[in-house]
Amino acid sequence: MSRNRTPEPLSVAELVHFGPLSSARAFAADHLDRQVSRVALVSELDQIRQCEPHAALVLHGSAALGAWAVESALRLAWERNASCVIAPAEIAVTSSTAQLAERLRVPLFVVEDPATHALELSAAVADTEAARARLTARCAVLFGERSTVRDILGVINSEVPGVTAALVADDGYVIAGRSAAGRPDGGHRVRVPVPGPDGRPWAELVAQLAAWSPSWVETVELILRLARAPLAASVGRSWLAIAHQAASERLLLQTLLRGEDVTDPARDAGWRLDGRHVAVVLRVAERSVQAEDSTTPAVIVAWRETFAHLPLVPVEDGWAAWWTDPEAEPEEVAAQVRDFLNPVRVPLELTAGVGVAGEGVNGLRRSVAEAQLASAVASRIGGGAVELFGELGPRAVLACLPVTEIAAAAQVALENLLGAPDAEVLITALAALLDCAGSTGQAAARLGVHRNTVLGRIERIRARGVDLDSPDQRLALHLACYSLLSSRGWRS
Amino acid sequence: MGDVGHTRVNEITVEDLPALVAGSSLLCSAAGDASFDGYCEIVAELLRNRGSVRLVELDSMPDDALCAAIGVMGGFAPMVELPPSGDEAVLAVRALEDRLGRKLDALVALNAAGPNAVFAVAAAAVLDLPLVNCDGMGRVLPLISQTTYALDGMPIGPLSAVSLAGDVLVLDSGLHRSDLLLRATMQAAGGWMLCAMYPATVSRLRTAAIPHATSRVLEVGRHLTSATERGALLDGLARAVGARVVGSGRIVELGHATRTIGPRHYPAVPTSVVVQEYADTGRMIRLEGQSELLVAVIDGVVAAAVPDVLCLIDRHDLRVVGVETVAVGDHVDVLVVPADARWHSKAGLTLAGPRAFGFPVRHPREEAQR
Repeated sequence: MSRNRTPEPLSVAELVHFGPLSSARAFAADHLDRQVSRVALVSELDQIRQCEPHAALVLHGSAALGAWAVESALRLAWERNASCVIAPAEIAVTSSTAQLAERLRVPLFVVEDPATHALELSAAVADTEAARARLTARCAVLFGERSTVRDILGVINSEVPGVTAALVADDGYVIAGRSAAGRPDGGHRVRVPVPGPDGRPWAELVAQLAAWSPSWVETVELILRLARAPLAASVGRSWLAIAHQAASERLLLQTLLRGEDVTDPARDAGWRLDGRHVAVVLRVAERSVQAEDSTTPAVIVAWRETFAHLPLVPVEDGWAAWWTDPEAEPEEVAAQVRDFLNPVRVPLELTAGVGVAGEGVNGLRRSVAEAQLASAVASRIGGGAVELFGELGPRAVLACLPVTEIAAAAQVALENLLGAPDAEVLITALAALLDCAGSTGQAAARLGVHRNTVLGRIERIRARGVDLDSPDQRLALHLACYSLLSSRGWRS
Repeated sequence: MGDVGHTRVNEITVEDLPALVAGSSLLCSAAGDASFDGYCEIVAELLRNRGSVRLVELDSMPDDALCAAIGVMGGFAPMVELPPSGDEAVLAVRALEDRLGRKLDALVALNAAGPNAVFAVAAAAVLDLPLVNCDGMGRVLPLISQTTYALDGMPIGPLSAVSLAGDVLVLDSGLHRSDLLLRATMQAAGGWMLCAMYPATVSRLRTAAIPHATSRVLEVGRHLTSATERGALLDGLARAVGARVVGSGRIVELGHATRTIGPRHYPAVPTSVVVQEYADTGRMIRLEGQSELLVAVIDGVVAAAVPDVLCLIDRHDLRVVGVETVAVGDHVDVLVVPADARWHSKAGLTLAGPRAFGFPVRHPREEAQR
């Protein structure tokens, strides 16, 4: 809508989509990109011979005596480079006429009252800027009335003629709108970056245009820009709502896990407390960046896309959810969660722990606690890992060990041993020997080496001042080895 | 065009009848054909009993010989339902002779095309009069006023008209009122009437009539009845009457409501036939008609128009296809047979050009002269 240059005439597509031709039946409608500079009311076919190029020809009177006359008009329109032909509805346009329009690439419209249409078309063509401004204003009003991303995209897709729009994330994921707009194949496209509620780039509004002209592109771009603020606001609103809900549910779950009776508020929150539960705790992988508070809405939104019916509640170090089903089995739940973690749409490496099934509120408490322990184990393994408490058993206890601290202490306490050139081999052998309760045969099998090799390594360990036989030292040694092997910091 | 490939014929025998019928169907411009039930057998019987009909040229007749044009006005369908009794021609000619106070010396055809080509021969046979080898249309046209006789200023009356029931009407009026009055009477009389009209001397007919009309029909008919191969038939028709193939293809659409407004004074409903050409271009030949095919519009351009004859020939059967029998899927050649030169004059096109039938277009010949 630049004020400092004359706008190009409206294209046929614009007249179709927000102009007087919107209710017309259209033929050869793939060729709407021609501009319309004037409108000619044609009562005799010969008049067309005098028409200037880019005219919209409205047939009536003896120029609209039948299909043959419309075909003659199409032909003359083609010869005169007219933009389109508009015929009265009492003419039955059959496939042969439609084919001719298609072959000549002259759009043909059929309307009830050609004379009225001619007037409306003339008005629209005479003031293109007004027509485009009306469209822009209408979109702006509708954007203000819509509150969700989907509805705002819906305004663009339904109101703006010949435009298919989508909100596309950086990685090409279509957040809302018509996915056809996001496809990379051909066509005229307008792109406008959309900031998130925090002001940082968040997504892109992409509009695919059926017809192209510089003014039209300008109009579409303006409408997309108008949509940005409502989009950011709607995202901010929805994230704020999620964050608020998450905080209150977190308190509720904490109270529940403490053993207090929260039956009523839990029911209000839509939680199911009766029946058989299998709990899941999601946790950010230990090696990945630490989760911030701001990641909670993203995780919850992603979760809701997959498991719309299951609440995901923030807990310490992660997020808890539970399946309530008499048939629920941890293995099945683990499989579903694994699928979810695989293409997860949050910028986080997530892992999960799954508890054992439990009955009622008490069973749920236990299952959540188990899932938390299992998730701690899974988080050590890395992104996408899912651990089942039922398979871990008491090993889950190890998850609570502060391995980093213990490893740091071990580096001091076992400085001599760790100073050996083959320290990693010796530590691994020592751990295997302790795991196998001192059996050199079993340790050799576990390590995949000969027993004599194990005996040789034991000798080298002893030579570094480690007393393998003292019962007082054994637990400490075992913990030190486990921690060193679990943390990666000490290895060169 | 009457003398294109003309060969002299002196009589019409019963053996000529199939060729006469076939030839007359081509010049109908697809408006039905003359072989309606049983009638041709009656005419054949007549020719066997009465002998052949003498076909005489205008040049060989004395100047003051009196002639009248024989023709039926009405629809094909009523004629099929109520076939002629055989007495109509005698009644009509006697009534006209009474009115004129003079015997006729010969008959001419109103138009040697369609059923009227046969009616004129039958009338000559039953009245034992010679038939003059000429006509007033050179094709079928819907109105009895659309003749070269009228074009040349010959009065249509006095005329006589006879119905199937033997009603005899003698009418003395102008050209257009005669048409109106006869049409009204015809409706009441059962849908068709045989008329004896345009009474004139041979010297008058020499300027007004299209010569060699009947022999031309016979020649076209011989090509059609003897054709075994499409190329030979089209060559033969080109030599005989200058027929030209406008296009060939498959009929893809038939319609009866493709025109909205237009003149209401024609006794038929609009018809539309669309032929899609075989060529890769996929051109569409839209044939607009009203009983007869009147205009051929190819991709929106008027390629041929009345008064030239537009007709369809089935590419497989090598038969003329009429508007009544044409079907979607038929493979046809679209032919145009040029009308007599006097139809292409300004007055001729005004009387029987596309605008006379409500098509506000120029005939291709007018277009070429612009």
